[in-house]
Amino acid sequence: MDIYLPIAEVSVNAPLIVALGALVGFISGLFGIGGGFLMTPLLVFFGIPPAVAVASMSTHVAASSMSSVQAYGRSGAVDWKMGGVLAAGGIVGAILGVEVFRWLRLLGQADLVVALSYLIFLGVIGGLMLTESLGSILRRRRGQPPPPRRDRRPPWLYGLPLKVRFPKSRLYISIIPALGLGVFVGLLSAVMGVGGGFILVPAMVYLLRMPARMVVGTSLFQIIITTALTGILQAGRNQTVDIVLAALLLVGGVLGAQYGARASTRFRAEELRALLALIVLVVGLRMGLGLFFRPEEPFVLMQGMAG
Amino acid sequence: MAVDAAPPVAKTPAAVSAALTETEVRVASNFRGARIVLYGAVFGPSDTPGDVVVIVRGPEQPVRIARKVRVAGLWLNSRPVVFHGAPGFYIAASTRPLDDIARFRTLRELNIGVDHLPIRAPAEQRVETRYGVRDVVVSSLGPDYLLWRQAVVRLKEKTGLYAADERGVRFVDRGLFRAEIALPAQAPTGTYEADIILFRNGEPISVKHRTLTVQKVGIERTLYLWAHQRPWAYGIVSMLAALLIGWGASFLFRRR
Repeated sequence: MDIYLPIAEVSVNAPLIVALGALVGFISGLFGIGGGFLMTPLLVFFGIPPAVAVASMSTHVAASSMSSVQAYGRSGAVDWKMGGVLAAGGIVGAILGVEVFRWLRLLGQADLVVALSYLIFLGVIGGLMLTESLGSILRRRRGQPPPPRRDRRPPWLYGLPLKVRFPKSRLYISIIPALGLGVFVGLLSAVMGVGGGFILVPAMVYLLRMPARMVVGTSLFQIIITTALTGILQAGRNQTVDIVLAALLLVGGVLGAQYGARASTRFRAEELRALLALIVLVVGLRMGLGLFFRPEEPFVLMQGMAG
Repeated sequence: MAVDAAPPVAKTPAAVSAALTETEVRVASNFRGARIVLYGAVFGPSDTPGDVVVIVRGPEQPVRIARKVRVAGLWLNSRPVVFHGAPGFYIAASTRPLDDIARFRTLRELNIGVDHLPIRAPAEQRVETRYGVRDVVVSSLGPDYLLWRQAVVRLKEKTGLYAADERGVRFVDRGLFRAEIALPAQAPTGTYEADIILFRNGEPISVKHRTLTVQKVGIERTLYLWAHQRPWAYGIVSMLAALLIGWGASFLFRRR
């Protein structure tokens, strides 16, 4: 059953897109991530114009984060104040990101920046996660104790001005790193078509040293605000949000996420992390390595914005 | 005067006539492309009907194209070049290969065939005096200009938007021909021009002109117009709807 997407102006197989949403939803429920980094490249692979894929994903990510944030909110696992600071940065980043993306498309360099961002960020994050999780799997097999957790917070974080108390996270730190992190993730969300959880979560754990139980809920709260704004800006500035595409993905995504969350209880945390790290690495390499090989077709048509 | 009074049978020039079986293609949510069938007839005194060429041209769409260049080990896009005069859809269907039907010059003059489309990149061109000759058109793309031009056609052919169908027009009966044009799902909306040209001995002797509209209808049209005319309202409403669905979904699954 094919369906014509009014904004993307291509015809897609509706059950395939719903299944894609379900698959990514399952993965996102399993690992507690948004899954945008996986969905956007898959959509491009199935023939959706990249600009439409990036913009429509923000609608999808906002909705799927919305469906999972409440569970965290009810159990008190959202630091609203920290989330607000991150979101304030995210708003600035999203506004900048949409303009940067528009400018890059005019220059014809959007593909390059998207490919490089995937290669660098997914490569680094995936690599770090894989080493860390394989290390802990090996240690557990050998019966060694986990390494002592370094609770020392980076001193530069405490030398900065504008200190604010975050009672829920039991932190008294400067808001500058949190704001900066928010801006950075907002930029990525607009350029890469991702929620940015894969950057936000490790940064909140290792940089801001937030308690682990607060991290996922707070990042979801930030992601909702940032992607909701990105989606509105993409629609307003670039007219690239395809609501039919987003709706198809949501149907599958919502269902998949529920089963993913249930399935996640059957695996060990470090095994899940190793698996996620592999997926992240493969996607990053797949998107980025094309830059190093001689293309079969030496010319490329730029989608839209002609003239 | 005697010439005018000559017997009509011998002097009536051959003519072509044609009709599209559909003059309006409706793009709805189940649109997967369309096949447009064209019937026509050649009237004339001689038994050999000649050659028929059917050209279907979509609305003009400027093309932005970039070349992959190697910079520091990476393959990057060059600065994009804009080509004007490129139709959003172009198909040349004929009874035989175009090169057998008419000479290069004739095809070029009439813009018949994907190789003879009037595509140019005006921003890259300037007029200057070379070797004492004034008003020479030079392109900043240099000798590679043809490569760029060919790439536009090649990439459009790959997506099914440009095509040359050398056997696309068939005579089904004496003087009666039929052509079938495949319109892919990504064909642009707008007014399409169909030219049906009768060739005899390499010269065009009769032309018929038909038009065809491709337009979005129903919900597709509503959403498209809304997204382009009121983009901010569209963005806000679709985001609110998405958030509401996400919010509702969590309640739905909590109760189980």
